[in-house]
Amino acid sequence: MTNELLKIENLKTYFDTWAGVVKAVDGVSLNVKQGETLGLVGESGSGKSVTALSILRIVPRPGKIVDGRILYKGESLLEKKENEMQKIRGKEIAYIFQDPATSLNPVFSIADQLVEIIRHHQNLSKQEALERAIDLFKLVEIPDPEVKIWNYPHQLSGGMKQRIAVARALSCQPSLLLADEPTTNLDVTIQAQILELMKNLKKKLGMSMILITHDMGVVAGVADRISVLYAGRVCESASARTIFYNPKHPYTVALLTAVPNLAIKREKLKVIPGTIPNLIEPPSGCRFHPRCEYAQPACSQEVPPLVEIEPEHYVACLRAKEIDVKSPLRAE
Amino acid sequence: MSIKRKVLHFFPTRVAHAVQSPLAKYVLRRLLYLIPLFFGILILVFVATRLAGDPVKLMTGLNPRITAEARERLTQYYGLDQPLYYQFAKFLWELFQGNLGNSYALRGGTPVTTLIGDYAWETFKLQLAALFFSLVIAIPIGVMSARRQYSKLDVSVTTTSLVGTCIPIFYMGIVTILIFSYFLGWFPYGQAHSLEPSRYPFGSYTLDELWHLALPTAVLTFATLAPVVLLVRSSMLEILRQDYILAARASGLSERTVVYKHALRNALIPVVTYVGLYFGGMLAGAPITETVFNWPGVGRLYVEATAKLDFPLIMGITVFITLMVLVANLITDITYAYIDPRIRIE
Repeated sequence: MTNELLKIENLKTYFDTWAGVVKAVDGVSLNVKQGETLGLVGESGSGKSVTALSILRIVPRPGKIVDGRILYKGESLLEKKENEMQKIRGKEIAYIFQDPATSLNPVFSIADQLVEIIRHHQNLSKQEALERAIDLFKLVEIPDPEVKIWNYPHQLSGGMKQRIAVARALSCQPSLLLADEPTTNLDVTIQAQILELMKNLKKKLGMSMILITHDMGVVAGVADRISVLYAGRVCESASARTIFYNPKHPYTVALLTAVPNLAIKREKLKVIPGTIPNLIEPPSGCRFHPRCEYAQPACSQEVPPLVEIEPEHYVACLRAKEIDVKSPLRAE
Repeated sequence: MSIKRKVLHFFPTRVAHAVQSPLAKYVLRRLLYLIPLFFGILILVFVATRLAGDPVKLMTGLNPRITAEARERLTQYYGLDQPLYYQFAKFLWELFQGNLGNSYALRGGTPVTTLIGDYAWETFKLQLAALFFSLVIAIPIGVMSARRQYSKLDVSVTTTSLVGTCIPIFYMGIVTILIFSYFLGWFPYGQAHSLEPSRYPFGSYTLDELWHLALPTAVLTFATLAPVVLLVRSSMLEILRQDYILAARASGLSERTVVYKHALRNALIPVVTYVGLYFGGMLAGAPITETVFNWPGVGRLYVEATAKLDFPLIMGITVFITLMVLVANLITDITYAYIDPRIRIE
């Protein structure tokens, strides 16, 4: 497989806390192809962000990658030395954080922060790096780039800051962009602008992207393929179309049902009963079984493997073939 | 709570002013605000010292042959028979002319300005050395401790710092003198210089100075160090959890750049505030340390002046200390604006 950019196999990232070992990511497998956008969807605490941080190996303490393989362009990232990883971070794989208000250092000007990263990865003079930074500002459509670049983060609006965060991520032309809920903390109109911007830039620069979100609406517009995460595991992975119109995992269906939809008349929004499980002692077997309306005794015994039930459609459900779940989007 | 909010909580007016006005205006406004404060302090101390007792009685109390008339003459000579407001007005009038009066007791009526001039340098020397060493030691230790939270290193650092904060400085001073001067004989008992040049180590005046400086500096450094270590540590812990630190790591910057450039600059903001406020007090001398080490500094002078009810000297040192504290605060504000652009002015 030559066009496979990133492949994650059975990744396990645990947090060793006073209360016990939190299994935030417990056997996640994913892959991203060249030029593709993978949507990583799940509730808060499902392990989306930790998966992304694990790729760059910057999981904050006490988090630790305990098992699995991460192959990037065929090379194993988990076997690389720290200084080799520093050359990959920001240059090969870039990260965009959720909250633009906190992801820029408040005490340095934007110019300082961008120039530092550009010069860290590329052999450029200060002046050249500054010109490059101004070009990036133009790329992310910030007005008055020559003036705005000398601003400090507190002088800019949230939407501006997120554009700068995008510019920072793109500063060294990465092959893979990890966007961790890049629009969650923005106003809806700004959200659309940023998404549109990212979509265009991705096409323009030929990058791949992992878009992490809990917002089904966001992935619908951007992602080519979607992996649905639940409690640290992948429960379904398929093309965006399949996930929306032909999901097989009860959790995916529940997620879709919980999204308000103008086209479907409903008295009440349907909620998924219960909350995301405690990850220190997760439910046995399928982690979704305590909340699943299709659960059977076997579901609490056996861990369902991720099986390809039709080409490019993977589901981790023991009853995937028997139960007849239906996407709410297909309801007539 | 964010650092910014923490600081805002401390100095709401200061920050509000800085945000709205250019630096010069800001400094000017601060200075204007300091004027009533300065006079307020003077009035308080002036009244308090006059309430403390009668210096003439103290001077003559042990002399049985003194006559009531002689006492009267002394009181008149010092102007203590005048009403309080008149005394204060006179004090102010002389203050504006740069005259702080003559000491009652020390060196047979030496001008107070001369006395302070002589003692202030020794205080500066000691305090600057202690501040320098405590910062140079405390910042890296605090940072290391924060980076390895709950490690053995961290636990021993926090424990030592807590113990350091708890031991009273006079006790630490006495024990240090006992060990290093009395038992081991490595350092002199006190004073800033040897009395005779023949006792200078290798005949060098500078070495003699440093030799005398060593113990009091060590004790003062340790006492200053402990709270700064704890402050750097807690501030650093909070900053290291911030998204922009993770973002700096995600950009491929080296761990050293991330910690010592991106994190430290942010973590130092509350430290600057603390050190600045502390520094003002330090310049005024550390009465206890200076007394224990018999150090000829302003702090000890203040203690002596108070014990002898030496009114002009007490007022003179008060003026000096107040000015030092106010200047230190001003420097803090400016440094602060320099480090944190959010305080800086458009």
